[in-house]
This record gives sequence, C-alpha cells and structure tokens, in this order.
Amino acid sequence: MKPIIKAESLTKQFLISPGDAPSVHYPTLRESIVRSTRFAFDRIRGKRRPREEMIWGLKDVSFEVMPGEVMGIIGPNGAGKSTLLKVLSRIIEPTSGRAELYGRVASLLELGTGFHPDLTGRENIFLNGAVLGMGRREISARFDEIVQFAEVERFLETAVKHYSSGMYLRLAFSVAAHLDPEILIVDEVLAVGDASFQKKCLGKIDDVQRDGRTVLFVTHSVSLVKEHCHRALLLDQGQVIRSGPAAEVVGDYAAMY
Amino acid sequence: MNLSPGQNANQAELPSAPEQQVEGSSVTSAHRQRRFELPEKPVVVIEPRKAWAPLDLSAVWAHRELIYFLTWRDIKVRYKQTVLGAAWALLQPLVTMIIFTYFFGKLAKVPNDGVPYPIFFYTGLLIWTYFSNGVSNAANSLIGNTNLITKVYFPRLIIPTASVAAGLLDFVIASLLLIFMLIYYGFPVTLSYLALLPLVLVTTLFALGVGLWLSALNVKYRDVRYALPFVIQIWMFVSPIIYPSSVVPREWRWLMSLNPITGLVEAFRAVLFNHGIRWLPLAYSCVVTLVLLVYSSYMFRRMERDFAEVI
Repeated sequence: MKPIIKAESLTKQFLISPGDAPSVHYPTLRESIVRSTRFAFDRIRGKRRPREEMIWGLKDVSFEVMPGEVMGIIGPNGAGKSTLLKVLSRIIEPTSGRAELYGRVASLLELGTGFHPDLTGRENIFLNGAVLGMGRREISARFDEIVQFAEVERFLETAVKHYSSGMYLRLAFSVAAHLDPEILIVDEVLAVGDASFQKKCLGKIDDVQRDGRTVLFVTHSVSLVKEHCHRALLLDQGQVIRSGPAAEVVGDYAAMY
Repeated sequence: MNLSPGQNANQAELPSAPEQQVEGSSVTSAHRQRRFELPEKPVVVIEPRKAWAPLDLSAVWAHRELIYFLTWRDIKVRYKQTVLGAAWALLQPLVTMIIFTYFFGKLAKVPNDGVPYPIFFYTGLLIWTYFSNGVSNAANSLIGNTNLITKVYFPRLIIPTASVAAGLLDFVIASLLLIFMLIYYGFPVTLSYLALLPLVLVTTLFALGVGLWLSALNVKYRDVRYALPFVIQIWMFVSPIIYPSSVVPREWRWLMSLNPITGLVEAFRAVLFNHGIRWLPLAYSCVVTLVLLVYSSYMFRRMERDFAEVI
C-alpha cells in the first residue's frame, strides 16, 4: 500500500541574529538600513558577515504514514513537534527536504482560529468553517449537526465574546470536527477542555479514523498515544529519535525522560 | 509549495458519511477499514520555493469563498456596537464636505470649475475616502490577522484583497448621497454614469496594488503603520481632491498627473459633470495600476513565505 504522507529529509532552520530575542523582535526599517549599509562597508573592507546563529527546528525528518493510520507525535518541549505540523500544514516553508501529501489536509493547530469575538455563534460557524477550508454549501449542509454537537442551540445569536470558555471550545471543536479531509493534522488542542470535552474530542478522532481517514496528532500525553494511535514518532531537538508501533515508541520515551 | 492543479485533487474525495456505522472499532483493525484510492500524483507537495515563484492564482481561486467570508466579516464587524451603524459611512464624507465647503469654498474661494462647492468636494472626498481607506485597511490587514496567518494555510493574498473589497459597501452607501446631491443641483443623471463603473474598478485595483505592497512590508517593518496616515494625508493634498487641477499652472500639470489618483479623480468628475475626459492622464493611471498590481503581487508572493515566522 502507498503511504498517504511521505516526508523526506524535512529540515527547517530558524535564523537568530546574535543579540536578538527571536520572537519579540521586529526589525524596524531604520535597523535594516543601518545593517545593510554596515554589511556593505564590511564587505568592502573584506570582512565576512557575522554568522547568524542557526537553530534546527527540524533536522532531516523522514517518515511515512499509511492511509487510515493514526500517528502520534511525541517528544519533549521544543522537540520540533509543532514546527513539523506547521510545515505539513504549509504555514511555514521547510528550508530543505520534501513532503508529499496524497489527500486534502485540514489542520487544527488551535481551536477557534478566525473566531471573531463580536460575531454571533452562527456567524462564527460560517467564518471558522471557511477559514478551515469548508465551502459555504458544505457548512450550510452540516450547520445543524455542528450546532447540535456543540450544544449551543440557545446561544446561536449571541456574540461569542459572551460565551463561557466551555461553550466557546465546544463550538470551535464542533466546527473542526465536521471537516471532511483525508488527512487531519491536530496539535495539542485537546489539553484545553475538561474531562468530558476531552472525551468528546477523542471519540471524534476515533470516528475520523474509523472512517478510513488519516490523523496526525501531537500530544504530551503518553496514555493518549497508547490508546488512540497505531504508530508514533518520537522527536527530540528536531530529529526523529524513534518511530514505530505506538506502544514501543511510548515505552522508549518513558525510559528516556 | 503549491497545490497541484490536476484533477487528482478531487478523486481522493471520500464518499463520506461520518455518522455511518462501522463495526470493529478497535484501533488495530483500521487498515482493513474503508479503502479509498490514493491519487497518482500528490495533492500537496511541500518543498522550499524559489524566491520569485509563479503567482498561483488557481489557489486563490480555490479559496474564493474565503475572500467572500473575510469581506463579510470585515463589514459585519466594522459597525458592531455602534449606535449609528453604517450611517458612519455617510457621515464622515458629509461632515468633511460641509467643513471644506465653508473653509475652502466660502472663505478661501478655491476655484471649482463651475461646479457647486458641496458637490465638487463631495465627489473628490468620496473617491479619496474609498481609496485611502482601502489602502490603509489593506496595509494593516495582515498584522491584524496574525492568528490566521500563524494557524491556517490559505493564499495570504486573500487577506488584503478582502480588506479592500470591504470598503466597497461604504463607497456604495456614500454614493447614494451623491446621487441625491446631483439631482438636487440639477445635474442630468443619465446612463453615461455607467462609465463610472470601470473607474471604480481601476481605483479599487490601484488601492489593492498599493495595499498589497504595504501590507507585506508592514509584516516586517512596523514603521508602515506609523508612516501611513501621514503619507496618506500628504497624498491627499497633492491630489486634486479639494481643488481642481486647473489651479495648477499649465506647465506644472504634468507633474500633478504623475500621481495616478489625479487622472482617476479628474475622470470621475468629468463623467459626473459632463466635461470631456482627459484621456492621457487616465490612460497613465491605468497603466500604473496594472504595473503596480503585477509588481506588488509578485513581491507579496515572495515575502509571503516568511509571514508566519516574522509576523
């Protein structure tokens, strides 16, 4: 059988200029001008550009996922799990390497992406659905199902900023759960709700898988991987440490950390 | 990273029925569950892209409903929790027009090419407001949608495009008042006004061209956000909004016409007030719009790769 996801040597490097805090710093126009002129002068004087520090977000990551498989991605914080999902979701571009996906992808890196607090539940269902890649007709067709699953019938015409966080999450998950892709990519979005919410989410993931679709999901919970995944990928410092049947990989992970 | 345009994309579609009962829910049995044919060619290929990649308008087309929804969101949200609602779209140019009529018209006696001051200023302001709001909304659109950019994939071009499109409703509302004014001042409202439609289109595309470029720049250089209001203000003063370009000495007219807005505003007024259109400045505006739009799109596409990381 052919894999539905094939990743070959995916690599992502992040540049960090010396002295800059990577995530908080925006270069201003002035700085860019100052810098580029300084580099120009340095070059004339034969100086090399100071080496910028590289961080390996991903390093040579290769794996395959078969259709209908649920693959868990585990690893310590900063292992590159989210980076991998972002590359596969086409939000960031790899520095090198290649991945082929043989199906439509829906990524769920966050619940309620695109929700606007001032819009009503009804309006946000359409907006969020469209953001996640559903067409208007598709959303209309599933609208009742989405509302029912989220249990927000009474609050459809209320702005979501007035929702309790539980309602908000249920609505957000419900829209996402009614996506119909061949490949579902899920980041650690399940950790946010309470127990019953989590149960509902996991039930839905099992449904999706039972439907013959492929799921890729990141989690910190070893037991989740054991219960819901066929295979697992263990990442550390951007590299694949181990991949294989979920139980084995989880065992290794537990032994290592 | 591009969506392969082949029809293969659709073949993988599941005859899905999520609620369908499937027995044997144990995790290990998944492989013998519903089989579906994988397409020959990948639906999505992910790899580093060259700096000047093709525009991939097919991907934008595939996401056209998202343009609609984002435009709709911008319009919905704009006047939420306001008492006056969409009346703001009327009120702003109206009040500005009244002030201009008094100060520039009655006191400073700016020449008006024989058109009553209120209507003269209002036409200029109408187009200018549409253009400048389009540009500034588009310029700030990407950084205003950081959550979308860092969490979902779609062609980023859609965000500034929707921002510009959302301004169209305000423009239409404000135009209604113009029609009343035209009738009030006894201008013959005729079918020749249909010539305004292509002018609105060019104005929209010009706003998009400027907006795309600024929005991409704004992701990296937040200076844009601070410089823009200032630049737009100056731009208005060098455009024939509150004065006709006939006040400029003939030998300097060409300089005025270098500003593509000049040709557009003059053409608007020419159609509305039944003057002859000066074709050369208008043609120039169209050419500049086209060139700018192509350039901005490619520049945008080039910078788009880093948006999620830099924003």
